[in-house]
Amino acid sequence: MTPTHFTISSAFLLGMMGLAFHRTHLLSALLCLEAMMLALFIALSLWSLQLDATGCSTAPMLMLAFSACEASAGLALLVATARTHGTDHMQALNLLQC
Amino acid sequence: MAYIMLTLLIGMVLGVISVASNPSPYFAALGLVLVAGVGCVVLMGHGGSFLSLVLFLIYLGGMLVVFAYCAALAAEPYPEAWGEWSVLGSVLGYLLLVVGAGSWFWGGWYEGMWVPVDELIEFSVVVADSGGVALMYSLGGGLLVVSAWVLLLTLLVVLELTRGLARGALRAV
Repeated sequence: MTPTHFTISSAFLLGMMGLAFHRTHLLSALLCLEAMMLALFIALSLWSLQLDATGCSTAPMLMLAFSACEASAGLALLVATARTHGTDHMQALNLLQC
Repeated sequence: MAYIMLTLLIGMVLGVISVASNPSPYFAALGLVLVAGVGCVVLMGHGGSFLSLVLFLIYLGGMLVVFAYCAALAAEPYPEAWGEWSVLGSVLGYLLLVVGAGSWFWGGWYEGMWVPVDELIEFSVVVADSGGVALMYSLGGGLLVVSAWVLLLTLLVVLELTRGLARGALRAV
């Protein structure tokens, strides 16, 4: 595994672990999701740059567009949570807790 | 150049660790800005200046600004930075994980592996990454229309989610 490949893989996996283990704020979990999307963008761009395959450059652009959609949907859910529960703490989301 | 790339890649991993270690969202957004900035320089080091510019404009200038404004929803009287023991413990744990995983691989890393060989194509007319993105408008036109439709749909989704006045997921506040 080349150092660059190792870096983007570990960035993605660290973001995923941060998303899985986040304990307090919903916004922190959304930021970890954004870190995962950033690692994916850099990975797709480096793929096209290192293989000299210019046709693969459209993939990171479209991925960025869809990641912006996902971020805005997540933030709208955050705003809805803050307006319903008063805070964005994950402990407040306990409607299905037994 | 290899040392610059080493520093940038280490900076990227440290930035993601600073986001994943559960600090207050203000500091996590700062860490994400660091990761995006360093990632842009990594892309530039490989010759992708247009993709790096797009990342800066759209990601940092568009998405993270919105995240920064939404950080007001996560206001707390004593925000935890990376000096708090709970956050520092997560930082050290993730660092140990990355160093441990890296120790599997760094036996096979040699000096020439950090940067790609420069493309010695002196007579090229089209810049590689910009020329590839231009394909999005010609051969990839269908997917461009689809993504424009998806963006419009997302706008309607967001407006419906945050409508308020006891409609949908919201209480009357």
